[in-house]
Amino acid sequence: MTSVPFLLLIEDDDAIRTALELSLSRQGHRVATAATGEDGLKLLREQRPDLIVLDVMLPGIDGFEVCRRIRRTDQLPIILLTARSDDIDVVVGLESGADDYVVKPVQGRVLDARIRAVLRRGEREANDAAVFGNVTIDRSAMTVTKNGEDLQLTPTELRLLLELSRRPGQALSRQQLLRLVWEHDYLGDSRLVDACVQRLRAKVEDVPSSPTLIRTVRGVGYRLDSPS
Amino acid sequence: MSAAPAKSPQAGPRWTSLRLRLVVVFALVALTAAVSASGIAYWLNREAVLTRTQDAALSSFRQEMQNRAATLPLRPTQAELQAAATQMAAGGSPGYSVLLVDEREPGKPIAVTSDSDVLTLKDVPQELQDAVNRRQKVTEANEFPYHLYWVRVSPKGKPSLVAGTKVIGGGPTGYMVTSLEQERDDLNSLAWSLAIATALALLGSALLAQAAATTVLKPVQRLGDAARRLGEGKLDTRLRVSGTDELADLSRTFNKAAESLEKKVADMSAREESSRRFVADMSHELRTPLTAITAVAEVLEDEADSLDPMIAPAVHLVVSETRRLNDLVENLMEVTRFDAGTARLVLDDVDVADQVTACIDARAWLDAVDLDAERGIMARLDPRRLDVILANLIGNALKHGGSPVRVSVRPVGHELLIEVRDHGPGIPEDVLPHVFDRFYKASASRPRSEGSGLGLSIAMENAHIHGGDITASNSPEGGAVFVLRLPLDVSRTADGDGDGDDGGDGGVRDGQEGDSQ
Repeated sequence: MTSVPFLLLIEDDDAIRTALELSLSRQGHRVATAATGEDGLKLLREQRPDLIVLDVMLPGIDGFEVCRRIRRTDQLPIILLTARSDDIDVVVGLESGADDYVVKPVQGRVLDARIRAVLRRGEREANDAAVFGNVTIDRSAMTVTKNGEDLQLTPTELRLLLELSRRPGQALSRQQLLRLVWEHDYLGDSRLVDACVQRLRAKVEDVPSSPTLIRTVRGVGYRLDSPS
Repeated sequence: MSAAPAKSPQAGPRWTSLRLRLVVVFALVALTAAVSASGIAYWLNREAVLTRTQDAALSSFRQEMQNRAATLPLRPTQAELQAAATQMAAGGSPGYSVLLVDEREPGKPIAVTSDSDVLTLKDVPQELQDAVNRRQKVTEANEFPYHLYWVRVSPKGKPSLVAGTKVIGGGPTGYMVTSLEQERDDLNSLAWSLAIATALALLGSALLAQAAATTVLKPVQRLGDAARRLGEGKLDTRLRVSGTDELADLSRTFNKAAESLEKKVADMSAREESSRRFVADMSHELRTPLTAITAVAEVLEDEADSLDPMIAPAVHLVVSETRRLNDLVENLMEVTRFDAGTARLVLDDVDVADQVTACIDARAWLDAVDLDAERGIMARLDPRRLDVILANLIGNALKHGGSPVRVSVRPVGHELLIEVRDHGPGIPEDVLPHVFDRFYKASASRPRSEGSGLGLSIAMENAHIHGGDITASNSPEGGAVFVLRLPLDVSRTADGDGDGDDGGDGGVRDGQEGDSQ
């Protein structure tokens, strides 16, 4: 990871694009911008940014669709920029693979904090590995393998798995996970956790609908178990 | 009544019920008609039967008196008298008994009877004897000194006719008695028949009244049901119109009223919907420029210190007013979501004390707030909405009541009670009912507050969507008290959408709780 994060901002409104570019540049990011989803996808292939800030309401293909298309090939972090905090949008955004979302009008500092938190998730840590059933988590290489095959996880999914694997057999509440993984304040949206757990289960569990690794603990949150 | 008793609060026998009144009126009419008809019939029949029997007996008796008693010699012997009496009794066409009285010697009357069991002189009423024996003046109008008299008696419950006369010219006095029992039995059975007929007529009238009531009341009841449904908000309720009578007219009127009501309500809700959409769209549209302004304002704020001291205050003003505008638009959006019913709960299991502490801490209110909350009170609710409620209640208390503000949290049954109490002057009584109204200002001249005027209203809406409530009152010790009531587990009481649990493994809880830190 380079010291200056390279962001791709996809936003159709000129004023917002300019203002956010200005604000993010001042926070120390390198920013590329695109006005449409199509342009954004092209820029993504050409310039390989570290993170994408994606507006939901775009002409042509919308933000959700852009998000889905990126996820088919790339696991880089995506932060959704939504003008609507209507809950359905948030849910759809999270299901299409976004790592986090911010609601307009967003303060530059908040967006910056979110960006940095997301980017930190990909940082390497202690040199050890843990095995849960047929899933192996290698903390030094930041890789997860299942039956010897590499799993493609987004930094957020990886961080969530790491946080859970650090406390095996112990239930973590959604609010705890929001603080640990998303670095949100006490008011994090628990649906971020739920959506991410769903995506993670789809990748690591044998049968995602009846998970044996990442268990739901009703009334508390989630827990990582070794399948017995 | 065939009305569903659960629906009608006055179901059951009602003395004012139309059906009952109809039945009573029908029955009264039938009773009056039947009783008067039967009475008249009975009376006429009785007279006819009695008169016929009586006339036959009397004319036969008179005949016998002339034929037998008048032919007796003057001063007859008892044997002669007895023979005459027996012959008379035998010759009478309806069976009767005869008593003859005469004098063999002056002052020594002889009385003979054809049947001493039935008729003796004692059986003849004294009034009849007096009348028979009274000699009347012979005038033009009255050619005979003696007449035939009769009387109906019923000694020992046996009705009978007693008659008497005196043979003119010094003959014997004769009495007769004939039983009227046969006639009485006939008349009794007639009375019975008439009574039964009356009863049948009553029954028939009651049934008829029922039928009439049904034909009238069925449509009335349907009308009532339809009106009730209409009142419950089912505005598409219509009645089937059949026939051309008054009730059909009424049904048609009802349908027309319902139709225009439905149209009016549809119009109104369309108008309301469009104005709501306007507010929603407008606040939506405001966000795009606000986002740009907010982002730039921050850049300006960072640079404010290095700007011209004349310009710096202007920049700060722009930044702070932008934030205000942000809050206002945010609140407007929130309100429109509640109005449109699109607000959803995002439930999570949280420690209430942690949430309250975090809410106070995040706004740097720790010094101004006394918190009385034990950790470990777990609740399933929407933490963001709880934060909105608490921030509004505590912020309001700090603004109007001043510190210290006391916040206490305690579970009561299945509910969570959070009390926010300030030590200010309290809320004026006339303002109290309006504190949760939107944009309500306690006084028109009140200086512009930093709130949006929507805070308490939004707090209330947020409590309602949880199935909870907020009440405002004044404490007797002074100061305002806001009490927030929320169910401890919203998913169990409310419709519980937005349940964060995916329940993948059947929600097994095996006792391993996370340390909630």
